[in-house]
Amino acid sequence: MRFYGQRVALAILLLLAVSMLTFGALNVLGDPLFNVLGPVAGDVNNPDSIKMIEAAKREFSLDRPLPVRYAIWLSDFVRGDFGVTFSSTGQPPVSGVISERLPRTFTLVAMAQLIAVFVSIPWALITASRAGKISDRISTLNAFFLLAMPNFALAVILKFVFSIKLGWTPLTYVGNDPLGSRLFQMLLPALTIGLPVAAVYQRLLRTDIITTLQQDFILLARTKGLSRSRILIAHALRPSLFSFVTVVGLNTGALIGGSIVAETVFRIPGIGSTLVESVLRNDFPVVLAIVMIVASSFVIINLFVDFAYTLIDPRVRK
Amino acid sequence: MTAEKITSGSDDHGAKKKLGIGFWLCVIWLTIMACVALFIPFLPLKSPTSNFVDATQGRPPYAPSWTHWFGTDKDARDVFSRTLHGARISLTVGFTAITAGFVVGGTIGVISGYFRGWLDRISSFVFVVLLSFPSLVLAILLTSLIERSLLTVSLVLGLLSIAPVGRLARAATIQYADREFVLAARQIGSKDHQIILKEILPNVAIPMSSLALLGMAVAVVAEGGLAFLGLSVEKGITWGGLIQLGSDSSRTLEDAPWISFFPILMLFLTVLSLNFAGDRLRAFFDVKEAAL
Repeated sequence: MRFYGQRVALAILLLLAVSMLTFGALNVLGDPLFNVLGPVAGDVNNPDSIKMIEAAKREFSLDRPLPVRYAIWLSDFVRGDFGVTFSSTGQPPVSGVISERLPRTFTLVAMAQLIAVFVSIPWALITASRAGKISDRISTLNAFFLLAMPNFALAVILKFVFSIKLGWTPLTYVGNDPLGSRLFQMLLPALTIGLPVAAVYQRLLRTDIITTLQQDFILLARTKGLSRSRILIAHALRPSLFSFVTVVGLNTGALIGGSIVAETVFRIPGIGSTLVESVLRNDFPVVLAIVMIVASSFVIINLFVDFAYTLIDPRVRK
Repeated sequence: MTAEKITSGSDDHGAKKKLGIGFWLCVIWLTIMACVALFIPFLPLKSPTSNFVDATQGRPPYAPSWTHWFGTDKDARDVFSRTLHGARISLTVGFTAITAGFVVGGTIGVISGYFRGWLDRISSFVFVVLLSFPSLVLAILLTSLIERSLLTVSLVLGLLSIAPVGRLARAATIQYADREFVLAARQIGSKDHQIILKEILPNVAIPMSSLALLGMAVAVVAEGGLAFLGLSVEKGITWGGLIQLGSDSSRTLEDAPWISFFPILMLFLTVLSLNFAGDRLRAFFDVKEAAL
């Protein structure tokens, strides 16, 4: 129990550090006033604009010292109030933006993860059972090609081939469409994110399966006369999944990074594309909220991976 | 940046102890690219910013031809020349970033791995904090807040590589810190800095340097991603920016795929070469990821 408590405490400490860092960087390096008022923010000689500056400072609590603002923001944030967007009206509230767009990104990342897992497992099984043969070498070369293709380039290529030339997949994401067609519209973006990750998983799992295949119990299964596919699926796969589980968890960061690019290329209004837009508009509350959500999900997933580990192998708990 | 590292595990059992022809092909490609990046102002290329409007061909973009090998973009600028010019920023940023990351991250990693104690705890926590952002998110956050010049973008990406490099250097140092030759050096009265420089560093630096090419590939891709999102070096031509320009509307992509596809090809070949050469080097020096 003590182990779990320590891990949770560490995770909370980590998130506090992340939020302080982000909050500090945004407020020290950026100029939030400019975003609310535009050029007026720099016009400090005109009495009218000074009045506007003062009003805006009060409205967005910019007149308070930094630690106080952080404390206010933090206490609001943990209660689910992410503040107001930095625009002249302050509408819509950040939590509204997030709750509208987060489900899309979540769906996209989940789809990509599913694609990556279900492509990589059979791929690894087939190549591991033929390790060193010509088909395995070709597949290794393929994995190398996939890994050398940056996801924004892969997105452009997939869009060109499947949406423009072949016309198989729709070009745009339409928020009002029924669920089924929206999922279909997410297929290419999910492939963009998932395929390179599948190559990562395949490389790892293939190596682990090859190691497992050299164990005695596989030899036993073989002498019992079991078929090759049965040995692979029923005997070799499970013991090989140990590090695979960790990497699937750890790769969430890469998936989220990929979703920023994929959402931008395929124009899906999720939190990834919103992050880029808000960053370019200096909309700090939105940026802060998205960074915190991304970092929290990352930290929480890793926490679960740690816990899953202790369930599989109690020695980790020391 | 962590996840990608695990990818290219050298899993050829019975590892051949030679670099192979593929390695040298990659080295040749990388040398050509490095020369292009260095000497681009002296090469006999068309100006990357001139508009070569040709009344007989109608409206630009023009398809690839003898005069424009990679075609032209919507403003009738030569894609071949622009793509080669793009090598400069992409490779400079990649190289500077990974050098900065290795110098800073390597130093922190070796020192905290050697001395351990509270210093090690603090640096390890900082590494964990840095690694708890997906790297692209952190890069976007930082580049959005600064004046984006060649130097600052390189430094941001360098900052991002500190944590992964530092962790590897720390782990490698810990491996050697208790070995007999280090104890022997201490017995004959060597100072800590002498032990670090003469005993530890040579053992840590060689395996780490074989990871430098892989790290540079990650940095080049990251720069491309930032440029693609409009967050890399503000003035100047980058591969990511060229790809973005050629694909910002489906129309452009459909009518003139060459605008984005030639930069993609260059970027792809460069990253492939860095990955492949790095992987061969690592297998050659027998650096085991698990051991680190």
